[in-house]
Order: sequence, then C-alpha cells, then structure tokens
Amino acid sequence: MSERLLPESFQDLEPFAAAWSLATERERNRQRLSSTMEEIQAFYNALLPRMEAVVAYLNQFPLDSMPADAQQLLYLTLSLAEVAPAVELFKQPSVADGYDAARFVQMHK
Amino acid sequence: MTAVATSRIDVTSNGKTWHAQYPELGTEPVPIEPYISPEYFALERERIFRKAWLNVGREEEIPKPGDYLVKDLPACGTSILIVRGKDGRIRAFHNVCSHRSNKLMWNRGGSCQMFACKFHGWTYGLEGQLTFVPDEESFFDLKKGELGLTPVTADTWEGFIFINLDPQPKESLKEYLGEIGETLKGYPFAEYSATCYGWTTELRANWKILKDAFQEAYHVAFLHKRSLPDSFTSKSNPFAHGTDCKLYPRHRKMSVYGNMEHRPTPVEEIASQFGSLIIRNDFSMDRLPAGVNPTRNPSWALDLNVIFPNFFVDVSDGTYFTYNMWPLAVDRTLWEVRAYYPKAQSAGQRFSQEYSKVIFRDVIMEDCSTLEQTQSVLASGAKTHFVLQDQELLIRHDHKVHEEFVGFYKKQNKKNKKGVTANV
Repeated sequence: MSERLLPESFQDLEPFAAAWSLATERERNRQRLSSTMEEIQAFYNALLPRMEAVVAYLNQFPLDSMPADAQQLLYLTLSLAEVAPAVELFKQPSVADGYDAARFVQMHK
Repeated sequence: MTAVATSRIDVTSNGKTWHAQYPELGTEPVPIEPYISPEYFALERERIFRKAWLNVGREEEIPKPGDYLVKDLPACGTSILIVRGKDGRIRAFHNVCSHRSNKLMWNRGGSCQMFACKFHGWTYGLEGQLTFVPDEESFFDLKKGELGLTPVTADTWEGFIFINLDPQPKESLKEYLGEIGETLKGYPFAEYSATCYGWTTELRANWKILKDAFQEAYHVAFLHKRSLPDSFTSKSNPFAHGTDCKLYPRHRKMSVYGNMEHRPTPVEEIASQFGSLIIRNDFSMDRLPAGVNPTRNPSWALDLNVIFPNFFVDVSDGTYFTYNMWPLAVDRTLWEVRAYYPKAQSAGQRFSQEYSKVIFRDVIMEDCSTLEQTQSVLASGAKTHFVLQDQELLIRHDHKVHEEFVGFYKKQNKKNKKGVTANV
C-alpha cells in the first residue's frame, strides 16, 4: 500500500487525494476537464460534508508553513473550489458554451 | 413574497434615464466600421496608443532596485522596459539597443544589475545609460553619453504604472486621469494587491468588442444565466440595471447592482464565511472611499472604472480585478485579466479566494466565446450599426471619445464635403 497523503483524521478522503490534491490551478483545471461528471460528483459528495472539519483543522496552521499532509489537504479543498461550478452551475465538467480553457493561459503559478 | 419585492425598483440615481443625463450623446445607433476597418485601426495605433497614458503594470511587480518588467506593445511597434532604479524611481525605456536596434531584453521581467544586449554585448545601467561597448575603439567618434536607451515617460497612480509614448505628453498622468483618479483615492489597492492571479489570451476580435462587453451589465441575465443566475439580477431588477453611472471627458464609471437576496450554492456558502466574494451581503461602506459606490446603494456589487483607452479597474469590497486590452491587429487582441486579493491569512481565506477566482475565470470564459462569435460575423455587412439601450450608455460614450482621438469621421466628412453627419 502506498504512503498516505492526507492527515490521519481525514483518511476517508484519502481515495481522492492522488487525483485531486494538486498544487496549481492549471493542474486542477485539467483534472476537472479530463474527469467524468460521475468522478467529479463523487469527489464533491465526499468532500463537501467534511469541509467544516477540514477548514477548522487547516486553520490551526500558518498558511506558509503547513505540515506536508495538511498542505495536501489544502490542495484538495482548492480542487473543490475548482469543480464547484461544474457541479453547481454548468452540470458538465467544462464551462457550457465556454471558451477553450487551453487558450486562457495562467500568468500565475 | 410581498408585492413590493416583485415590482421593479428604480436603481438609477435620480429617476432619470442615463441617456437623459447626457443628452449631448444622442440616442442613435453607433457604427460598426471602427471594429472592422483597417484604416480606422491604423489611426488608432497612431492617435490613441502613441498619445494616451497606458497602464503597463503595478509597483508590486518590481519592488526592489534592479527589478524590471518587459512590456511588448505590438500595436505601437515597440517593446518597453520598465525598471526600478537604484534610487527607487521607476523609469521606462524603449527596449531597443542603441547599436543596431536589437530588442534588448527578451524575457517578461526579472531582476538584474545591468542590461546586456545579446547581439553584440552593449551594456546599459539601470538608469538607461550606456556603460560598456565591446571593441569600443573600432567605432568612429562614439559618443557613449548620447547613446543611452531612449526614455519613455512613466508615472504611477495608486500603485499602477503608466507610460506615455508621446515624446512630449500633452498632460501629466494626474491630469489625464482627472476626476476618476480622485474617486478611487483611499481604495485599499496596496492591501488588496498582495495576491494577483492573472490570465492572458489572444482573441480573434477587435479590441473594442472586448471593451464594450465589459462596460454594460445587460448581458448578464442571458450570457451568464448559468454562472450568475441571481447575483446581479433579481425579481425587482431582472435586467441588471446599474445603480449609478458617471461619464468623464475620457473615462467613465458604472456601479453594478448586487442582489443581496442571492442564494449561494453549497460551496459558495462555505467560501462566503471567509470573505473575498464579489456578492456579499456584509459589504462595508466604511471600507470604501466615498467615490466607490457613490450613491451608497445597499444593493451594490462592484464599480466598473473604464480608463481610456484600454484599462479597466473594477473594484469591490475585498477584491478587485483589472483588464488590459492590447490590439494586435484590427481583428486580434491580446487580453490580460487579473484578479487581486489581500494576503490570505488562513486556509479558509485561501479557499475562499480560490472559489472567487475560479468563478470569475469561468464567467470570463463565457464572455470570451461571445467576443469571437461576434467578430466572426461583423464583416458580413449584414449590419452597419449597433443598436444601444439606455444601460449601454458607456459604450456610446466610448465611441465619442474614440472619435475625438481618431478623427476618422471628421476626415471622411471633409472628404465627401456633403456634410453628412456620421453617427458617432
């Protein structure tokens, strides 16, 4: 079994970490666009009810010096922000009638 | 639901339509020609981009002496080097070597002690002076003191760096910005600029198609019906009428209505606990200077500040965003979009900013599609004019300012000597 990525108290979210604990917006957006709605919905359904506990846990650490497993958990929450419009607004992974995401190039990391 | 909630509210400042407040602008349709004419575009390059003050960055991008930015301006046929000198001053130069005009710096920015040309090694100091010429003795009467980089006028306003390519600008930046610059005094730009997310894209559309799309809210109920179903619209304001507008000689501003009854989605609900969202029913007038949301409307989302020719500074409570539209050709535009936030102090705030940023980006993706679709049929000749409604006053005003700079129709009228009044 591979090493765990997330803190011990959030092992229920571990199955999603490999795919969704991603450091950059570009990676998270690509993951969203290359996933099926079923995969996105499963991730959303698992993390949403845990967000209160997750944020309370993460808020005890300074943002710029988190333990590695907490950092991975933070990245997981940023992926929830990334997929939220797909689930809650567009009902599909990409922006409906939207522009080609590959042409909208991030200047930030 | 009460009867009051379903009747249309009057969100205008004094009950008058916006056009009635500016009768000199008329109500006629405006011409499409400026969006497709190569002749018009050539005049814009010469008479707008070589004359007006242009935003090219923010001070935070070059905090230390030796920090520099490279800004390519294809519409002006040049590239600009913006550098903070040892004395802390920001200077700008044409990014062009004095030897045989090679482009001096090829990257987007960085930090250095001197600028060395890749072609023959000519080297310049941070203040633009020529400091070293390899094999100098083989040149003829080389006057190094006169061969520094060609300076470009630069100045700052609220931390935004502007340049002016006119060798002798007619006005200072302060004079050029005028009243709109004053209205934003006191807005916490420095605090909110700690974190910047930016995107760039090359759109197949005239640069004014982009400008027009972001100085009206009429499109929100339709183009953004999925992404913003009830943020800027409500039963009492179904067409996103703005709460205020103000036109200046060249610039303009509009206050955008925000629906305080907006029902957040589950993830938005979590994000809203940590600030950063544009629609927030806890926004504080105390944090905003008097010039922002000037009518102090409680149903307020943000102010659009359209600074001629190509710079938007759209301010909200807790975040602001900017657009720069850089024309590349009559039908191509390089667009830069940036969203700014205060430094996140906690994971919760970081999450909130990420959600705000992602929604903003996805909304923009809806806009981008329309911009290219519009341009793709503009040259069809099917239509010669755009028909504007009251809430599209800012677009009409932009046409007037463009014509004042470009003088395209003035010239045409003179040419055919028939005194036909062009609709501008």
